[in-house]
Amino acid sequence: MKKPRLGFFKYSCCAGCEFQTFYFQKHLMETLSSFEIVFARMISSGGTPEGPFDIALVEGAITEAWQADELKKIRKRSAVLFAIGACAVNGGIPAIKANRPEIEVEENVYGDLSAIHSIRPHPVDAYVPVDGHIRGCPPGERDLYEALTSALFRKKPDFLRQSVCIECKLKGNVCVLVTFRMPCMGPVTNAGCGALCPSYNRACYSCFGAMKQANAPALARRFRTLGMSGDDIARKFTMFDADSIEFRKAAELYED
Amino acid sequence: MSGSGMTGGPVFQLSEYLISKKSFLQWTDSLMEGFTIIGPAWDGRQTVFREVGSSAELTLNYVTTMLAPGKLHIYRPKEKLFRFSLSGRQEIGELPAFNGKQIIVGVHPCDTNAILYLDRTFLGEFKDPFYEARRNNTIIISLNCTDVAPDCFCRSMGTGPFLNADSGFDMLLTDFGDDFLVEVKTERVNRLFNVSGARRAGNEEFALKAAKEKSALLKFTKTIDIAGLDSLLRDNPEHPVWGQTSDERCLSCSNCVMVCPTCFCYDVVDEISMDMKTAVRHRQLDACQDRKFAEVHGGNFRARRAARLRQFVTHKLDHTRQYGVFGTVGCGRCITWCPTGIDLTEIAKEIQRTKR
Amino acid sequence: MNALKPSKAAIKNITHETGDVRTYEFYVGDALSADPAPGQFNMIGCPGVGEAPVSFSGLLKDGSIRHTIKAVGMVTDFIGRMETGDEVFLRGPYGRGWPLEQARGMDLLLGAGGVGLAPLRPVIEKIVRERDAFGRVLLLYGARDERRLLFLKEYEAWQDFLSLHITVDELAAGAASKYSTGLITTLLDRTELNAERTVAFICGPEIMMRLFCRGLLLKGANASRLYVLLERRMRCGIAQCGHCQHGGLFVCRDGPVFSYNEVSGFADGLL
Repeated sequence: MKKPRLGFFKYSCCAGCEFQTFYFQKHLMETLSSFEIVFARMISSGGTPEGPFDIALVEGAITEAWQADELKKIRKRSAVLFAIGACAVNGGIPAIKANRPEIEVEENVYGDLSAIHSIRPHPVDAYVPVDGHIRGCPPGERDLYEALTSALFRKKPDFLRQSVCIECKLKGNVCVLVTFRMPCMGPVTNAGCGALCPSYNRACYSCFGAMKQANAPALARRFRTLGMSGDDIARKFTMFDADSIEFRKAAELYED
Repeated sequence: MSGSGMTGGPVFQLSEYLISKKSFLQWTDSLMEGFTIIGPAWDGRQTVFREVGSSAELTLNYVTTMLAPGKLHIYRPKEKLFRFSLSGRQEIGELPAFNGKQIIVGVHPCDTNAILYLDRTFLGEFKDPFYEARRNNTIIISLNCTDVAPDCFCRSMGTGPFLNADSGFDMLLTDFGDDFLVEVKTERVNRLFNVSGARRAGNEEFALKAAKEKSALLKFTKTIDIAGLDSLLRDNPEHPVWGQTSDERCLSCSNCVMVCPTCFCYDVVDEISMDMKTAVRHRQLDACQDRKFAEVHGGNFRARRAARLRQFVTHKLDHTRQYGVFGTVGCGRCITWCPTGIDLTEIAKEIQRTKR
Repeated sequence: MNALKPSKAAIKNITHETGDVRTYEFYVGDALSADPAPGQFNMIGCPGVGEAPVSFSGLLKDGSIRHTIKAVGMVTDFIGRMETGDEVFLRGPYGRGWPLEQARGMDLLLGAGGVGLAPLRPVIEKIVRERDAFGRVLLLYGARDERRLLFLKEYEAWQDFLSLHITVDELAAGAASKYSTGLITTLLDRTELNAERTVAFICGPEIMMRLFCRGLLLKGANASRLYVLLERRMRCGIAQCGHCQHGGLFVCRDGPVFSYNEVSGFADGLL
C-alpha cells in the first residue's frame, strides 16, 4: 500500500508540536516510516506545500490574514486536516491577547507598527473545517496516535472529549483539589494528557483547553473559596484557551 | 441482598473465633505463598487497596479509600478483551482471563455490598468471563466499621456499618481492640484458617459485637430517608434542584462516577498498532457525566448537564427496578470527591422538602 | 464463553438505497446465537474501529441476514466504504423485537420515518409469508424527501399484501411528486382506523414516534398496543456497559422495542 502523504504546517506558535511529532513522541519511528513526509519544515527544508496531502497537521494560532488565506488553500489540498496543539486548537498562548484591542497589544511590543499586520488570534477551525483536534501543549500522545493511525487505517478518529479527572481517577491519583486545595483546572479541561500534572501532585493548568460545555464559572467560584484573587482566577482561564466560550464565561466573572 | 448462586460458596456461618490481631496478620503472611494479598495500604499520598508484600504494610484501621477495592481488583478499570490480527485474513483471538488467586483483606461493608451489586451486572443473564474469573478466585475478607467518616450514610441504606449480607464474601472481621472477632463464612476459607491461639467465640463476644455496632450507628451525621424515594424522584424529573445544582456547581467532571463503587458503565475501545498488523479491543470505565455518553447520530439524550447529573443521582436513588435494590451503598465517595461538594443526600432532601 | 466475542461475516451483496444508506447481505452461517426476530439487532464491528448496534432489515435466509446501514458514525462510515467480499465481525441477535404474536388476528399499523423503515422490513416479510394471520395491514411511511425513501423497488410487491401510504416532508422546488407531501402525522390524521383492534409498530426519530403515538391515542388506540423502537448509544448489547439505560431499563435487553406504556414520560426521552 502506498504511504499516505503527510504535510505539517506551522502558524503562530513555537513549532513544538512538530518537534513532538517527529522527534519526541513514543511512536516516532513508526510515524517516520509509515508516512511519506512531503512537507515539514522542522525536519527538512524544501518540500512542496502544494500537495495534495492525505493528512495535513496544522499547528499554531491564526494571527495574521495571510495565514488564513494559506490555510484555506491547504484545506482544499488535504483529504483530512487536523488542528494540532493548544495554539491551533484553542488559540493557545497567542490567544492571551484575544481580549484586548489589537493596537494596544501591538504598541506593547513594537515601536514601529507600519510593518505589523496582526489580527485577533483564533484557532484553526475558525477559518476552515477540521477533521479533529489533537489537543495539548505539547500535543497528547494518545490523540496524536489516534490521528495518525486513523489516517493510516482510513477511519474517522475517536478523540477524547472527557475531563482530565477521568484519566486522573483511572490512574488512582489522589485529587489535588479536594485533598490539597490546589486550584486544579482538571474538572473543566479536556482529557488527553493522562493527567500528567496531578500525577506529580501539581494542579492542572488546562494546556489542553476547555472540555466542551464545561461549567467553568462553577469552578472559578470554587477557586474563590480557596482564597484565590480574582486576577489569579481570570488568568487561570485565559492562559491557554482565552478564546473559548466556556472559559470566557469564567474569566468574565473576575476580570476588571 | 439475596445471595443465590453468588460466588463465595454456600451461605452459612461456619465458625467464629477470637484471635489477636498479631496472629491474624501472621496468618495473612502465611497465605502469601498461594495468594496475592491485597489490602488497604499507604502509597505515600493516601490509603489505597493494593498488593502488599507483607502484612506489616496493611493499614486495617483505615476509614475510607478514594477507589473501592471491587472496582480495582475484581471489576478492573481497564481490561483487554480481544486481540485481532489484521494482516491477511482478519482473525480474532481471545485473551486469557485472570488465572491467579487473590485475597482482599479489610473490605468494608459498603464495599462488600458494592461487589454484590456488581455481581448483578456481570454475573447476570450474560456472564462476563473476566469478572467471573476474578470473582471466583478472590477471597473477600470483610471488616466491619467501628469508625464512620463524615460522608458515610450506609446506615440509612442498610449496607453498614456492620455487614449483614448473607453471602458473597468469605470472612468477616470485627475490631475488638487487640483482637479480631473472626467469622468464617465459607468452606474455602475455613480450610485455610488454621491459626494457633484462636479461641472459639461465643455469646459474650457476640454481645460485645452488638454493642460495638450500636455505638458505631450513633456516629453517623449524614442520613437519607429512602422511604418512597425512588418513586418520588421519578415523579419529579423537572424539579428545579437539578437545573440549579448543575448550573451552580456540577462540573460534569465525572469524579462521582469514577469513585462510585457501584457505577459499572464501560466503553469499548479499539486500538490499532501503527504497522496495521494488530488491533486490541479493550473495555474501560466510562461515565454518564461525559457529554458523549448518551449521544447518538443526530442527537444526544442527555445533552444538558442537568440531565446527566440527574442520571447519576437517579441511578443511585431511584432506579430500584433495575436490580431490585438501590444503586448506592452509602459510601459517600461521590460527596467526598466532588470538587464542588455536590451531595446526593442533600439533593434528595431538597426534593423531599419541596416535592410537587 | 465470552458474550462480547464477535464472529466473522462476509458481505455477500450490497444494495445502494439512498445517498449514504446501503443494505448489506451478510453471510453469517451459524454464527448467530439464535434465529433473529424482527426488531432485534446485531452488534456489527470492524477490528480497530469499533462496534455499533444495527437492527435487522430482513429475516434470516440461507445463512444470510440483512442490515440497512446509514454511514454516519465511526463504524458505519467505515462499513460504508466496504465492498462485496469484505468481512465484518458481528454478534447477536440481541434484544426484544416486535411483538408479532400480539398482532395476530388484529389490524396492524406500521409507522415508519426515514431509515426507521429498515427495522420494520422483516415484519413486512413476515406479513408476506403469513398474510392471513393478520387483519388489515397498513404501512405509513414518511421521509424528508423522495431521495431518502428506502427499498423503492419493493413497494410494488408489498402492495399485494398491505396498503402503503407514503408522504415526503418537502418537494424540490417546482417538482411534482407521486407521493403526498407533509409530515407523517398528517397522513395519519387522514387514515381511517379501527382503533379498537389496531396494533401499531412505530420506528423513526423519537420526536416522530412521539407525535405519531399521540395521534393514535387521539384516535382511541390503546397505549399498551402501540410499540416503538428506541435508539440509544450501545457498547455491549448485553445490559452491562450502561450506555443505553433509560429510566432503569436497558434498551439493549429490555427493548429496543417497548410498548408506549413502558417508556412514556421517562426523563431523557421524548415519548
